[in-house]
Amino acid sequence: MKENSMLLAFIVFFPVLSAFVSYLIGRKNKTARNRFACIVVSVEFLSACMACFGTAEFSINGIFALGINFQSGSLRSILMVLASFVWLMTTLFSNEYFAHYRNRNRYYFFMLSTLGATMGVFLSADFFTTLIFFEIMSFTSWVLVMHDETENAIKAGMTYITVAVIGGLVTLTGMFFLYKASGTMRFDELSVFMSGVEDKTPYYIYGIMVLTGFGAKAGAFPLHIWLPEAHPAAPAPASALLSCVLTKTGIFGVIVLSTQIFMYDAKWGLFILVTGTITMFLGAFLALFSINLKRTLACSSLSQIGFILIGVGMQGILGEHNAIAACGTALHIVNHSIIKMTLFLCAGTVYMNIHELDLNKIRGWGRDKLLLKIVFLQGLLGIGGIPLWGGYISKTLLHESIVEYIAVLNEAGQSAFLFKAVEWIFLISGGLTLAYMAKIFTAVFVEKADSISNGNKNQHNKYLSGTSAFVLICCGALISVFGLFPNAVMGNIADMAGSFMNSHGMEHAVHYFAWVNLKGAVISVIIGAVVYFGFIRVFLMAKSRNGHNTYIDLWPKWLSIEKKIYRPVLLSLLPSIGGACANIMNASFEFICSKTVPAAGIVCENVLNPSFEDLYKALYFIMSRAVEFVSGLMENIFLWLLIAGVIVIRFFKGMYDYMLQVVLYLFFNYEEISYEGKRNFRKDAYFSRFSVDKYGEERGMRENLSISLMLFGIGVVLALLYLII
Amino acid sequence: MGNYLLLFPVFFPIICAFFMPLLKKQRQKELFVPLMLAFEILIVFIISFGGFKEIEVWRISSLLSISFSNDGLSRLYSCLISVIWFLAAVFSMEYMKHEEHVERFFMFYMASLGVLMGISYSSNFMTMYLFYEFMTLATVPLVLHTETHDAIAAGLKYLGYSIFGAGLGLIGFFFLCIYGSTTSFTAGGVLDPAVIAGHENFLRVVYLGMMIGFGCKAGMYPLHAWLPTAHPVAPAPASAVLSGIITKCGVLAIIRTTYYLFGVDFVRGTWVQNVILVLAIGTIFMGSMLAYREKMLKKRLAYSTISQVSYVLFGVFLMTPQALCGALLQVISHAIAKNALFLSAGAVIYKTGHTYVYELKGIGKQMPVVMVCFTIASLSLIGIPPTGGFISKWFLATGALEVPYSGIIPVIGIAVLIISALLTAGYLLTIVSDAFFPGKGFDYSKLENKEPNYLMLVPLMALAAGVLAVGIFPSGLIDVFSGITQDIF
Repeated sequence: MKENSMLLAFIVFFPVLSAFVSYLIGRKNKTARNRFACIVVSVEFLSACMACFGTAEFSINGIFALGINFQSGSLRSILMVLASFVWLMTTLFSNEYFAHYRNRNRYYFFMLSTLGATMGVFLSADFFTTLIFFEIMSFTSWVLVMHDETENAIKAGMTYITVAVIGGLVTLTGMFFLYKASGTMRFDELSVFMSGVEDKTPYYIYGIMVLTGFGAKAGAFPLHIWLPEAHPAAPAPASALLSCVLTKTGIFGVIVLSTQIFMYDAKWGLFILVTGTITMFLGAFLALFSINLKRTLACSSLSQIGFILIGVGMQGILGEHNAIAACGTALHIVNHSIIKMTLFLCAGTVYMNIHELDLNKIRGWGRDKLLLKIVFLQGLLGIGGIPLWGGYISKTLLHESIVEYIAVLNEAGQSAFLFKAVEWIFLISGGLTLAYMAKIFTAVFVEKADSISNGNKNQHNKYLSGTSAFVLICCGALISVFGLFPNAVMGNIADMAGSFMNSHGMEHAVHYFAWVNLKGAVISVIIGAVVYFGFIRVFLMAKSRNGHNTYIDLWPKWLSIEKKIYRPVLLSLLPSIGGACANIMNASFEFICSKTVPAAGIVCENVLNPSFEDLYKALYFIMSRAVEFVSGLMENIFLWLLIAGVIVIRFFKGMYDYMLQVVLYLFFNYEEISYEGKRNFRKDAYFSRFSVDKYGEERGMRENLSISLMLFGIGVVLALLYLII
Repeated sequence: MGNYLLLFPVFFPIICAFFMPLLKKQRQKELFVPLMLAFEILIVFIISFGGFKEIEVWRISSLLSISFSNDGLSRLYSCLISVIWFLAAVFSMEYMKHEEHVERFFMFYMASLGVLMGISYSSNFMTMYLFYEFMTLATVPLVLHTETHDAIAAGLKYLGYSIFGAGLGLIGFFFLCIYGSTTSFTAGGVLDPAVIAGHENFLRVVYLGMMIGFGCKAGMYPLHAWLPTAHPVAPAPASAVLSGIITKCGVLAIIRTTYYLFGVDFVRGTWVQNVILVLAIGTIFMGSMLAYREKMLKKRLAYSTISQVSYVLFGVFLMTPQALCGALLQVISHAIAKNALFLSAGAVIYKTGHTYVYELKGIGKQMPVVMVCFTIASLSLIGIPPTGGFISKWFLATGALEVPYSGIIPVIGIAVLIISALLTAGYLLTIVSDAFFPGKGFDYSKLENKEPNYLMLVPLMALAAGVLAVGIFPSGLIDVFSGITQDIF
């Protein structure tokens, strides 16, 4: 059990430590820093591979108060290897991509520390550990999003961090309650605890709170708003990391919640399923309208996350017979990461060469770049779910899981309408995926270049360095390998992941290339073709003056929840309400004092008609009562002090004001003190107006001192003198 | 002899203070303060790690005496105060170069330390009250220091509020003398059940008055208004210690009164606990919200203090071991983080003169180390791991859920903690983001390295490291706290 335990700690903390080292190296030598980063991620990848077999545990007690626990094996191992692989590839690619960037040292520092934090999330064995690394990851990746420092990037970064902070805090709150209820944070113990719970109603609320942060990171509706902004704004390697790995940390949390805490829970599953379906369709729908290469890819990520969430939801709904859904989920996580990385790196190649991402400006740039074209095509076919490529396998499994449940419902004689609808939305989204991918593929690699816009930019002979080309080839090849040998590669991965999600293994092997399964793909392809030719080419393209087609920007701004709801509510409505409350509260005490105390003074003066003398007599009376009251127990000392205080008040009232003036004058060069309007002064002299009104503050304060300072301050000074002497 | 050592940390700085005006040479002044403070730290640590000590200086009557002792809370406070005082003093060596009357500042600065030590080590109410009043009198000159019209108005406001608050505390003390068996701090309370029978609710009103009175120093509603007035006008090191340490002394007085005089059982589960919890929760929200809307950096930080110290009060008033542990953790992490923030603000003011947050665009490029420290401290205030603020928030919230009677108020408290954390992110992260990511419009050509010298940087870095250390290795502290809570509960 414990064999590889130190290795886990190494995997988490090594990148964080080397982040500091790389920063120091980077101050001296930039090439050495790049090499160092590559070595670090390679070492990380190797150790992840070493640690991925078998299960190991590692815990440090006492650190972060509750201690942290790591565990490897099953889905954790897969995610760990996947993450380190993506990091390796993007870091190799970064060398060339960032060659002309500012602040590279900062990038490498935060890139490496994000790696460590991400590993911490994936390996965590309890929610406390997850949360700690999750929060660290949010903040380190924030810097990656904003790295470009353009206005767009900063805006996107702020949206990202706002969603991350809100999500993280809500998750934290949910965890407080969960911890209170169960007394543990460990996944396995929570799972056992939950299976013994009869009434789950409060736990659904806690669960949804915990889900918020993870859902936000995954990009689930309605917290997806940051994703289509942040992913395109980041530099391409960082977008790849965000899209491929960081969203998966959210998914990891969702999976833990759904398959361990709410294990086989149909209600919870349905909730995730509905969220997933909306996210899936919304992402695909938005991607159609985008005319920015990376934005399309980001929306596509959104949509693919939706697919994964559907798998997670179906696991809950299917209960114990959820093997298909579990496999589909795990495989789609892997596929999406690899494919999206490929696509983002291709987009990065484009941006690196011509610094444009607008489809109208980069049109035709890739016509003569065979390698890039093939690799991108691999990604397209993979993500579109075309048989023989990676994505097909996982999508088929996910589709199968829905179909299976429809069959179950039909057998039971219940209405399967909802799931029929989900199935069709699933197929339509698959079709839309093909359509928007076709849109960007034709734009970049098929259509002729616009001679005006980027004719001269095509002259670069060498648009990719050797390393970057190697990275792209690797990624592209993987997608094919996954698709061509589904049972050998993907089957093993699925088996490995199963136990984490509490699935019991496939009851029968899936014949991926049987007609039943191919049918779904064919429907999607048909829908895709119809949408592409019937919608995109007709409505989203227009002839420009020189006879070329241009892509029109019809990005549905009206659909933005962020602009319509979140921003107004969070930035205007709530702060103004809260601010009003806070201001009222802030001013209330002083306001009440300023109104009631002088009024009481006037009442006293007019009704009781006291003078200075009367007041001090009254005061003396009260004080001496109090002193008498206490003196029996207190043996005289306070009596004397208070009598002395009162005498001092009586004799040195005028003296005191004079002294204060002198003190201020002598020590603080303050000359502006003068009394204005003696009559006014008398009227409310005795009582403090603790108020800050425009002119009277300092006078009010000083008059207040007349009583309170003299009573207490001087009394105590005398007390000390008395004590010392 | 061993017991007389307790007097040393209290009177040594006060005596040193009287020597300040005698030092004429610049070099002497520069060396004198840090050396004396370092010596003070040494003595404080010797006392803290030695055994329990107690000394009665002077017995006035059977009930009243001036005496000191070092129990768990005293050790915690004295160590924290002496270390922070030293760091802020090192920082001021550079900062005060652009102020006048340096020796006067340091005179009162040293004297304040002695007084604060007196509060930490006091073992009965009389002693604490005495030093509590002196704390006000010794720190007012720090606020007045710049001698501008604003500063004097603020200083007087501070004085008025503090005296009034302490007065409320004193009134309560009269009643404690009657109803209690002693006024020495005794874990579990001193109230005599036979005497208080029938007067419980009256005494709870008195208790409420004391809480509001001492809450003044801790910046609790309704007597919070001095904080945002006094902090911005004081020199940065002074506002740092005002915000980080002096407010915590109000908290100490509250802890002493609640746990060592009235006793937990007297207050827990009664209406008065609900009232003070609501006051603390309200203050948390109010402070954060006002900070969020404030544009002047130091004032923003002052509002932030109001909110953050009320986190501590929230934990103290919950009266569960876990929550008290969280409160003490928050005392430490906030003291360190807020000092780091105020000192960073001071460094920025010292080097650039900027006081408003919108002037700080791109400041992170000019003063990277300062702003990195600022960022780490900000993360702690928000409560992001791996900083101290996260751990204290975790303990506070789990402590709130531990409350034995089922009430809605602790849950509301948690919600407000979370909302306040969000607002904290809103008012601090925007500064961080503007500082490091000024946007493309930023003029890089005007960029110059404005990093201050090591006198400023080292204390800042030490504080930032402290924030992280409290967050990553809190176990040692938590052991100390559980020792304290075991005595009380």
